[in-house]
This record gives sequence, C-alpha cells and structure tokens, in this order.
Amino acid sequence: MKRLVSLLFALSSSLWAADPTEADFYKITTFETPKETALEVGSIDLLPDGKLVIGTRRGEIWIVSGAGSSDPSSVSYQLFASGLHEVLGIAYNPKDKNIYATTRYEITRLKDVDGDGRADVFDNVNDDWGVSGDYHEYAIGSRFDKAGDLWVTLCLTGSFSSQVPFRGWALRIKPDGTMVPTCSGIRSPGGIGFDADGEVYYCDNQGPWHGACTLQHLVPGSFQGHPGGNVWYDQAPNMGPRPIDPIPEAFQGDRDRKSARPGGDPDRMVLERERIKQLLPPAVYLVHGKIGNSASAIICDLSDGKFGPFAKQLFIADQSHSNLSRVFLETVNGIKQGVVFPFRSGFKSGLIGGRMDEEGRIFTGGSDRGWGARGGKPFCFEKCEWTGKTPFEVHEMRARPDGFEVTFTQPVDPATAGDLKSYSMREFTYAYREQYGGDEIDEIIPKITAVKVADDGKSVRLAISPLTRGHIHELHLDGVKNTDGLPLLHKVGYYTLNEIPK
Amino acid sequence: MIRPLIFLLLAALSARAAETAVFTLKTMTAQMKYDTPELQASPGQPVKILFENGDDLPHNLVFCQPGTDTAAMALKQMENPEAALKRNWLPDDPRIWAHSKMLNPHEKEEITFTAPEKPGTYPYVCTFPGHALTMRGELKIAPLGGGLEDLHFSLHLGSWKKLPDFSKLTPHREDKVDDNRIQVKLDDYKNEFGVVFTGKLHAPKKGTYRFFLASDDGARILIDGKEVVNDDGIHPASKIKEGALLLEKGDHEFRLEYFQSRGFIELYAAWKGSDFQTTPLSTWLHPQWQVGGRKNSKKDDFAPIPLAVTTEPVIYRNFIQGAGNRGIGVGYPGSVNIAWSAESMNLALIWRGAFIDASKHWNSRGGGHQPPLGYDVLQPTGEVTPAFFVTEKPDAAWPAWEKGKRYEGFEWQGYSLDAKRFPTFRYTWHEASIEESFQVSGDGNKPDGNAKLIRTVKIAGTLPANAWYRIGSGSFESQGDAFVLKAPKTFRITAAGAQLAGQNLVIPAKPGTLTITYQWAQ
Repeated sequence: MKRLVSLLFALSSSLWAADPTEADFYKITTFETPKETALEVGSIDLLPDGKLVIGTRRGEIWIVSGAGSSDPSSVSYQLFASGLHEVLGIAYNPKDKNIYATTRYEITRLKDVDGDGRADVFDNVNDDWGVSGDYHEYAIGSRFDKAGDLWVTLCLTGSFSSQVPFRGWALRIKPDGTMVPTCSGIRSPGGIGFDADGEVYYCDNQGPWHGACTLQHLVPGSFQGHPGGNVWYDQAPNMGPRPIDPIPEAFQGDRDRKSARPGGDPDRMVLERERIKQLLPPAVYLVHGKIGNSASAIICDLSDGKFGPFAKQLFIADQSHSNLSRVFLETVNGIKQGVVFPFRSGFKSGLIGGRMDEEGRIFTGGSDRGWGARGGKPFCFEKCEWTGKTPFEVHEMRARPDGFEVTFTQPVDPATAGDLKSYSMREFTYAYREQYGGDEIDEIIPKITAVKVADDGKSVRLAISPLTRGHIHELHLDGVKNTDGLPLLHKVGYYTLNEIPK
Repeated sequence: MIRPLIFLLLAALSARAAETAVFTLKTMTAQMKYDTPELQASPGQPVKILFENGDDLPHNLVFCQPGTDTAAMALKQMENPEAALKRNWLPDDPRIWAHSKMLNPHEKEEITFTAPEKPGTYPYVCTFPGHALTMRGELKIAPLGGGLEDLHFSLHLGSWKKLPDFSKLTPHREDKVDDNRIQVKLDDYKNEFGVVFTGKLHAPKKGTYRFFLASDDGARILIDGKEVVNDDGIHPASKIKEGALLLEKGDHEFRLEYFQSRGFIELYAAWKGSDFQTTPLSTWLHPQWQVGGRKNSKKDDFAPIPLAVTTEPVIYRNFIQGAGNRGIGVGYPGSVNIAWSAESMNLALIWRGAFIDASKHWNSRGGGHQPPLGYDVLQPTGEVTPAFFVTEKPDAAWPAWEKGKRYEGFEWQGYSLDAKRFPTFRYTWHEASIEESFQVSGDGNKPDGNAKLIRTVKIAGTLPANAWYRIGSGSFESQGDAFVLKAPKTFRITAAGAQLAGQNLVIPAKPGTLTITYQWAQ
C-alpha cells in the first residue's frame, strides 16, 4: 500500500511538473499602437533618455517613450515624420543628435530645427543607387558602425537580376556622405546588424543561390553569393576585378541528383569557394522551415547578462515564423561560422525590425503584409524580456578538429550527458545554384564516437566521424538532462561547418 | 371564415408596407466605402435614410435606376469638370431619382423618399470624383412575401441548455395564434420554457427560399420536417442565422422550435424568395433585419486608403504614376496637389481634388505606381524631365527620361518644411543652387477658376551659358500675359519672362527668382 502511494505520488508529481516552456524564461509584451496608423515596424533604434525611434513600412517615424517601463500602458508615441518611402533602416547619430532613415532610394537625415518634436529638415545624405520601380528593390539600412559609417543592403530587382546600379550590393555611406561599394552578391536582405565586436552581418532570404535563409558576414570586398548584381563592378573600382560567375546548375540534362557524378557536384559552396576567390560562404544557414522562412533583424545582446546567459550572442528575427532564433558565432581558419538554435516564438506578427537596449530588453515588431506570417495580427510592436529564470539550453557550440564542444547554461546530469545515446547528428548541405531555394542534400549520418563530460559539468566534447566541410551539422541532444532531471528547452541546433579547425 | 382571414392578413402586410423604412447609412473613415452595401424596401414604401459622413472627404449618396453603370456615370463628369463642380459633383443624368447633398466631412443629412413602385435593384453611389468604384451599394425593391397561416403554438415547461426533442414532451398548453405572427409573449412564464410554432407557408412558385432566424435563447426552423436554419444554444439574439432550401409551389409545413433558459426573450424569423424581399414572420424585428445582418466590417485587401489633406500639406514619397521612381507627392490645403521628382529635380505633376490613395503601396508588397486620386492631372513638361537645360535653341527637344538613368549635373539635396509645413525643395545644378516652393490660392474643388498653384524658384550661384528653364511643354497659345494649353485640359501658365519656343514654354535661366503660376482655366 505504501509502495502504491509513493508510486502514485511519483507519477502525479511528474505530471504536474510540466516541462518548462519558452515563456517561462522570456516574456513577450505586446504594446498598443497609435490608432491612426498601422505601425508596421520596419526598423528600431535607441534614443537617449530611454526613448526609441521606430521607422515603418508606411514611411512614418515615431518616437516612443515608456516602452521600457514594466507597465506597458505607459508607452506613448509621437509622430516625428511621415511620407517617407518605407523606413527599413533607422539610426540615431549621437554626434549630431539627428535621426538617419534608410528609405527606398535615399538615406535621409532628419532634423528638428524648431524643436517642436517634428522633423522639419529632410537632407539627402546619399542616394547613389538606382531604383527601377520594382517592388522588390527594398533598401535595408544599418545603425552607425564603429567608424561612423552607415551600411545599406540593396535587394535585387526581383529575384534574379540587377537592373539599376548597386542592386544586390552592400554599400557604406561615410560621414561625409560619400558612398563606398563594399560587398556584392546580395539577393534579398532582411536585416543588417553588428556583432559584439562591431563586425557587420546581414540576413539573406531563401531564393536563387540560397537554399535557405542565411546570416552572412559583410567583409569589405567579399562576394556574398548571388551573381545578379555583379554587372556593377565597373562602377566599383575599389572592389577589384569582377568575380568569375558561379556555375548556375550542375544538373542540366537527364541526370538527376540521386545519380552520382564522377568527380563530385560542382554546384556546392565548398567547391565554388576554391574557384571564386571573393566568394564568402554564409556564416550560418538558418535552416529553412526549421529555424524560419524569412530572416530579418539581427540583434546583438550587449546587455552584459541582463538578457540572461547569452551575452554577446546574436538573435535573428523572422518575418514568416514570427520568432527569434539564437546564433553563436566563432572564427575558424579566418572566417565566421556558427550554430543557430530556436529561441522564442509567439510574436504577434512577422518581425522585421529589432533592437536590444542596455537593460537587455529586445524591442521588435513588423507586419505580415505581402508575405504571410504567424501570429494572426497584421502588424505588431512588442518587447521580449528575460524573466530572470535561466533556461537549460546549449550555451555555445564550437567546432573542434574531431567534433564539437558544447557548453550548457546549467550543469548537466553526467549520466545522461555522458551517454552516447543522448545525442544524434545529421549532416547536409544545400546546392549553390541558380534555382529558387533547394532541398537538404548530400545527407550524411555520422557516428558519434565519443562523448566526454567536463569535470564542472558545464560542457561536453563530442567526437564525430566524419566531420564534413561545407555541411550543416544538425545536432540533437534529446537525452541530455540537467541536474534537476529536466531536458533542454531546445534540443536541436544547426552548426554550419564552413571550416574544420586545424 | 376563410375570406376574413385573408383580408386581415393583407391588411396587416400592407400596413407594414406603409410604415417608413428607416436606415442609418454611414461612410467609413478612410476606406472609400459605405458601411451598408445593401438596403431593402417595399414598392412605394416611405424611406428615411440618416446619412452620416464620418470620413475626412466629401461624399454624397445618389440613387439610380436599375442597370445604371454608376462608375461610368460618375466618370463622365470629368468630361466637363467645371460644370460638374458647379453641380457639386451631382451628375446631370436622368437615371438619378434621389440623392443627398454633397456632405462635407463629418456632416449629416436626413433623406426621405418614396421607394419606386417597380421591383428591382437600384444602385446607390458616391459621385465625387474617384469614389464611385468602391463607394456603392444596392437598394433592393421587392414586395413582401406572404405570411404564416393557421399558426398554432404549444408551450412546454423545462430547463434546457439546448433544444429538447419536443415530440417526446407533453405540452403544458396549446392554442392558435390569432395574428399569425410568431411572438413569445407569455404572461405566465418568463424562464425555463419552450414553444413550438406550427403553421403553413405558401410558396408562390417553385424556387429557392431563404429563412432567417435570430433568437435568445435557442431556436430552429423546419420546413416539411426538414431543418433549414439552426440557432440552438444559450445566447443573445445578436446574429442573424440563415439557411436556404428548394420549395415546390404550394403550401408547406412550417415548424419553429424555441426554448428560453433565463434572461432576455427574443425571437426573429423571416423568409425571402426570388420575387419578394425579406419578409418577417415574427412580431419582433432584429435591428439589422433590413440589411440581412450584413455590415461592412472587415477591411479587405486593396481597400482604398485615401490620404486626407486638412490644415497642413501632406507628403507622400512613393511610386507615383507619371512622376518616376523618386516622386514626392504633396497634397496642399486647398485641394491642389503636386508630385515633385527627386529624379528630374522638377515639378512632375499637378492635379486638383483629392490627393492620393496609398492602398497600392500600403497593402501587400507595395509595388506599382499609384496615379493621383484627384482630377485634371497635368504633366507640365512631360515625363520626368528636368527644368534646366543648356541649348542654343530653346525649341530643341529637352532630355527624355530613361528609366534608371540619372540626369547629369543635378544633385538632390532634400527639402525643408516651413512653419506651416510647406516644403521647399533643394537641389544643385552644376554651380547653381536652386530652391523651389509652392503656394496655393483658391480652392481646387471649386469651379470658379480661381484655383492656382504658385511656384517660386530661387536660383543662386553660377549658371552655364545658354541655360534655359522650361515651365511647360505642348501646344501653348499666347493670351495676354498668359500661355494657354487647350489639351488635354485648358490650362494657363503665367510667368515673367516666359517665351514660347516651339513646343517649349521657357525662361532664360539666370540667378534670381522665378514666379510661375499654374491655373485651371474656367
């Protein structure tokens, strides 16, 4: 009888203690927005005194006060400017105290000369790029980088071609207003941002030459993969000679992907890197359908712990899945690569703009217009905050010459974490080809040959055979438990192994 | 016994037909729509419409004969807009048989008329320029259908959350309903009862008939034992449910089952045939019965988003048809609008009336070029061409726009807003700096010919030799100090120093200030 009671107790307690959810650790607050407009957030930056500035798809700029308050009803809005052509980049310049907006065909400096809270001078800072009238030619702008430059990434004319100058390029605008063509190979940018060191990244979207959305490192002089915009190299002498074109498609003719080609398939990023010296592979593939479908804002955690355990990591917003995912990056053999994990879903509309403040609050928002989005609202402005509870998550994942080192946010249970059966891995890649999107191909199921839990219980070393250069290594940690017996909040991560450490 | 019954029935129906049908019809804010797309009334019935313009644009309500192409009728006014303006945009068209005034924003008017005797669908529309395509609806005129005959009820007592199977219950009491109208009016029971009404309905011909039902609490209607509409459960009578079925010509068994739990008691039932309008079968009428319970509530994709200009200019930078890809629309108070091009550094378009509809760009992905919303659109100097040009022959062809190419020598600087938020556009051309601004006098919506756009161009710095400033292109005639363009619209341009050079109306470009007046001739 006593045994039965204790069994019942054990059963019921495990039933009552439901597994933690994302919301236990990261809370989303949805703000009311001004009734007179659709606040389709396109870009967000921080202003002094805890205020925010928001640029919208409808071309408005709003100054937001009180969004950091614990009481969401204390938020208030003031219309600073309207009538701009889509504000998909907004930047406050602490030097001249003005707001800079990246719009469809121009970077505009907005000044409030008479101090009435509304902009009255709209200066063209730079408009040295073309606009053909095609809807696809979005311009996504950055904040000021550490050199005081603004960056703008320019969507192609449609998916394939560049019909006016610098479509498919990343440009830098110097403080004096001059423009420097900086990277080619861009297709459809969704967001641009900096890592903790101030390095610049952008998100590209699935399409031609992109099997999935990607996080890409904007190294000046690099070619980011889509050759459509390379027709403008003659207007960018600083960039050197035009890269040779990638091979559009290796599978023309009767042969299908299943039949092996002697000598291998040439339409792989890892092979084309050997041939095209300017080609820089994506730092992280944001695996299509699993991480998101439409990558947008890049938000770096510089809050020094106020957003939880992920200091200096990147959070990537998605306009289709209405979520944030989390990226840890490292530099291996001179290039950036890293891992992406799901982080927080449940935002009310497709996320486009986002920014974290010094207090570790992510402000984000967007709209579902034009492309469907989860969440059910046509547009939203929201806040994501750490609740103070630390989730059990993979903290960092680093490539090692023979496998990976995985660290955790909490000490692991040595028995489950030291058990090979707690892990599984799958490797795949995408073809680097002209067709729209692409499947996960060249699948390899490697062996996990060894696992060693560190003495402090905070990390494990996994030996993997083989590691495959250029493949995405999908790691499942289904069996790993923490010392409380809880599983990981997110049990799968995707590491893009551009390089194997020497 | 039969004849008096029929007599009574007709009297009841005709009495109801003579009652005034009262509707409230509103315009929806910034959506270019009425809130009610359908009204119905009986032939010859007095109608009263409380018409409320809740929008920021002027609107009217114009009733036309069946079959009128209302959009074409409204558009035809643009053939002679001056005359149309004098008529306050009420088309001079014999097919119009009732109408409101042109209501200013936030005005109201009560309209009364007698509904036409002839059954049919009578369209109604707003005839203000540019509104008729979306701002419209239908007044359906049809006689009432027949009512119930031989109506009986049986009262049951019980506490239910859903309709019970009344066939298995014993009635508490039964009786006939003298006026043959469904009504739950019981002196003895307020809560926890059910009523079954049975009677006959006569289908005047074979066809599809619709049945409407709204009840507090649950109810359903059965015809010849077959359920046609169901509104079961405990709920208020907020929504009208409907169902349809095919009936042969002749009499049919009508059965309505109803139950009341606690609280309010309401029951509405009606039917509608192809030859008769929605005809109540109950004494109580649902508040939305005449519009079938339908209201325009959901904003659909591509619903117009007209940008209203009130006390200060409204700026709209986007793809404006006729202004290239770097167009800056400005709607000025006074119903005069421009599009300035940051591509050609020139005035690209002028129009009057409403400013612009943002729906093309603020719905979906935002592609495409949006034409002006108003009328009398004029491109003074052709498609996206610069004003400045160096030529020894001012009658020469000015540079033509090549999509995606930039004009050499021009640099766009931006714009500044003055205290009234009127923009001054700034750019440079070679060694010269140019500022240009616009003022409006008169009212672009008035037919008095006084609406003017006054353009001030300040030129500073050094200009190349043989530099010209073009202010118009086309077949101008010189009339006194003005130059008049006859087609496509009669248009007057006045400017000191202007001269005709072939198809070009030009001014020698020198440092100083140019004042150019654009005016729609009367």
